[in-house]
Amino acid sequence: MIPNELLVERVDVLIAGSGAAGMRAAIAAHDAGAGKVVMLAKGPRRANHTRMSGGRYNVVTGLNPNDSNDAFFQDTIDSGVGINNYALTRILADESLDRLYDLEEYGLAWDRTDVTKYYMSMTGGGSYVRTIGSVDEGIGITEVMLHQMHARGIRICDFHMLVDAIKDDNGRVVGGLVLDLAKGVWRYFECSALVIATGGTSQMYETNSGPTINTGDGIAIAMRAGAELVDIEFMQFIPISFVYPPSARGYTLTEPAHYGKRHFDPKAEAAHLLNNKGERFALKHDPVRKEGSTRDILARAIMLEILEGRGTPEGGVLMVPDPDVFDSFLKERPIYVKRLLENYGEPQARLQAPIQVMPSALYTLGGVRIDAWCRTSVPGLLAGGEAAGGVHGANRLGGSSMPDIQVFGRRSGVAAAEDARAGGNPPGAGLERARARAAELTKPLGASSGVRPPEVKKRLQKLMWDHVGLVRSGPKLEETLRAFRETREQVLPTVKVTNKARVLNREWMESIELENILDIGEAMAAASIAREETRGAFYRTDFPQLDAQWTANLWVKRDGRNLNVEKHAVQTRVGPQPTEPTHKAELTLGEV
Amino acid sequence: MTMEKITVTAEIQRFDPSADKEPHFESFEVTGLANMRVLDVIRSVYENQAGDLAYQFACRIGRCGTCAVRVNGVSVLACQEKCKPHMRIQPLKPFPVLRDLVVDRTEIEARLEELKLAPLRTHEHPGMPEPITPKRAEELCHMDSCLLCMVCVSACPAVEERPFDGPAFMLKLRHMSKHPQDTRNRLDQAVEHGMLECFNCDVCTQVCPADLSPAQAIREFRQELMFGGKRPVEGRPG
Repeated sequence: MIPNELLVERVDVLIAGSGAAGMRAAIAAHDAGAGKVVMLAKGPRRANHTRMSGGRYNVVTGLNPNDSNDAFFQDTIDSGVGINNYALTRILADESLDRLYDLEEYGLAWDRTDVTKYYMSMTGGGSYVRTIGSVDEGIGITEVMLHQMHARGIRICDFHMLVDAIKDDNGRVVGGLVLDLAKGVWRYFECSALVIATGGTSQMYETNSGPTINTGDGIAIAMRAGAELVDIEFMQFIPISFVYPPSARGYTLTEPAHYGKRHFDPKAEAAHLLNNKGERFALKHDPVRKEGSTRDILARAIMLEILEGRGTPEGGVLMVPDPDVFDSFLKERPIYVKRLLENYGEPQARLQAPIQVMPSALYTLGGVRIDAWCRTSVPGLLAGGEAAGGVHGANRLGGSSMPDIQVFGRRSGVAAAEDARAGGNPPGAGLERARARAAELTKPLGASSGVRPPEVKKRLQKLMWDHVGLVRSGPKLEETLRAFRETREQVLPTVKVTNKARVLNREWMESIELENILDIGEAMAAASIAREETRGAFYRTDFPQLDAQWTANLWVKRDGRNLNVEKHAVQTRVGPQPTEPTHKAELTLGEV
Repeated sequence: MTMEKITVTAEIQRFDPSADKEPHFESFEVTGLANMRVLDVIRSVYENQAGDLAYQFACRIGRCGTCAVRVNGVSVLACQEKCKPHMRIQPLKPFPVLRDLVVDRTEIEARLEELKLAPLRTHEHPGMPEPITPKRAEELCHMDSCLLCMVCVSACPAVEERPFDGPAFMLKLRHMSKHPQDTRNRLDQAVEHGMLECFNCDVCTQVCPADLSPAQAIREFRQELMFGGKRPVEGRPG
């Protein structure tokens, strides 16, 4: 084969991402009548973030008489410190139950306390007992969805990495450039609608909780295609994650161990957190909820202890769990008991000894700006799930990502099917652009000397963790932004790939990820510099207070090599939602 | 204790089907924390010594099931297996190798698809919590923890010798046979996919990283086959 030949095929709806958002989009697009639907998985199809998650699902089922959709909505706005896109948050609260039943219909058996009663608990930041789940955590959700994909005959392409959205001369997305990693060949999928469901950016950070594939590819691709990012300065860090062994560092340690009796009772206390002086440092940050505080406050509190030298030699703090909740912990989360046993030891697994914990990058709160039907400002390009922004605002409730990716995964698929019906690009549209881009991205394969991609990636991950992470400041952000620009100008052109063989060439894949990481890293740093306050998961040491003037959203848009950061009023209008998407839904979000 | 360091030797199987006639081993020394996992060793080799190594992982915490390899002949998840002073690391058998430690799962996925694991329903979802007893729900959720990592299939002696898809596939079928809303005949499917070829050796249960028992699933199918074909429907309340 000629090295940069493109294998071209035509589909109706192309979906990038094999987590729940991508699968739900594919199922919905198929059910809404789309012809050929193809879903791309960057790795093997099971290598996704949903599967790694706790699978906890916030929903108002009527089983807790105190709870309501209004309360769920308000809780999400409060947790998001008022900068959520209210319309999207409302949809989350209102559609979460229907999507839950979809999963049950697909074959998922949620944990129960009675024949028609789900097992319910509380998770991070919530004020109601509203979270359901199952003992398999995120695995069952992904399995039952895969079964539905098969039942519909939807094609899944493993090891297919979306590299860029390709537009025609009118600015409409007409295809996706894809690197088939398993064969080492370029593919071009002409499509009428492209859905970005590639998840978040946790891999941009040295310590993270996500899968290795989550380098923010789709978000960067959407930005390069001209879409705006919203709230991209907001990254959620989970306070309680494993410190060792190295492979598990940063992986979420699960909240029931931390929440103790508070897992079921909003009035109860969570496990105490101690620094190396034995002090309960959380009291300084939240004297009322103490260690039961929200994820943003706790993660920051722990990070500050570590940064100020009051952590453990391994780089964590100590959590003193409540041994009384061991039995319910074992029943609800046996996988975690096993992990604690293997990683830390039996006393820790039995919740009888202090457990070392540290914060870790978990969830990308911002992302591609979408309307109620997941359309971006670029025709033909949609986004859903963690890759999209606005649903959760400045901080996310534990248990809300699962309904988000179901609700907006489905909406993106329905809208994509509609766009595909209306679409109809001439054959060959965008092909030349795709070919040129493929040639450009094949260059590192030919370089004989230079720097290897994993080295650059590590450098960027450290910069992100140190300066665009839990604790930020203007001068350090400026410095980091300069470092990113230098890396782009001076290092990226010198990246070389060791292996010239193209099959499963990890360095080659990473060389492509680097550009995505830099694109989003710059956007995050630039938006962080602009936001001169502290809010939710976002903390500036030089602006440590919440500022009402900043109850606003930042949109980041790329203009050639420049980034435009614009401040927009929060969209608080919750209009009646059209039951079916209109083809050309205008974005009715806030004005400057 | 957790900061203690060790040096291990990893002999890693290298094989590029497009260029090599047969696999060979390459030896690497890796120094790291004593509590590191096999995956940490593999990642270190890639990052510091062999940029051309092909390997696979995603979650590094025993959930995605994509990092399975053989270590000294035993099928394991690389992310969960503690490193040993001397390791011979090979791809899972008996699957075709894409390159080095990564196997081609195309046929595995095709088999799973063929099992039609979506529940075959006689009626639509009621739009309210579907009746399932808590005990049955717990059992189903436990069985849903199967990673499809293929560690059991790789370790199964019957798979090697006989026309048997392997333990994981039987577990998935048994799982659906217990689902109160599924009406497909899962026993027939199990037989069709080689269930009777199982030696009943229990190796699959011993190696399962998710602590499940495919062997028990097979025993239950066999009991059902011998003592009556009534599907267990006790999960669906009266």
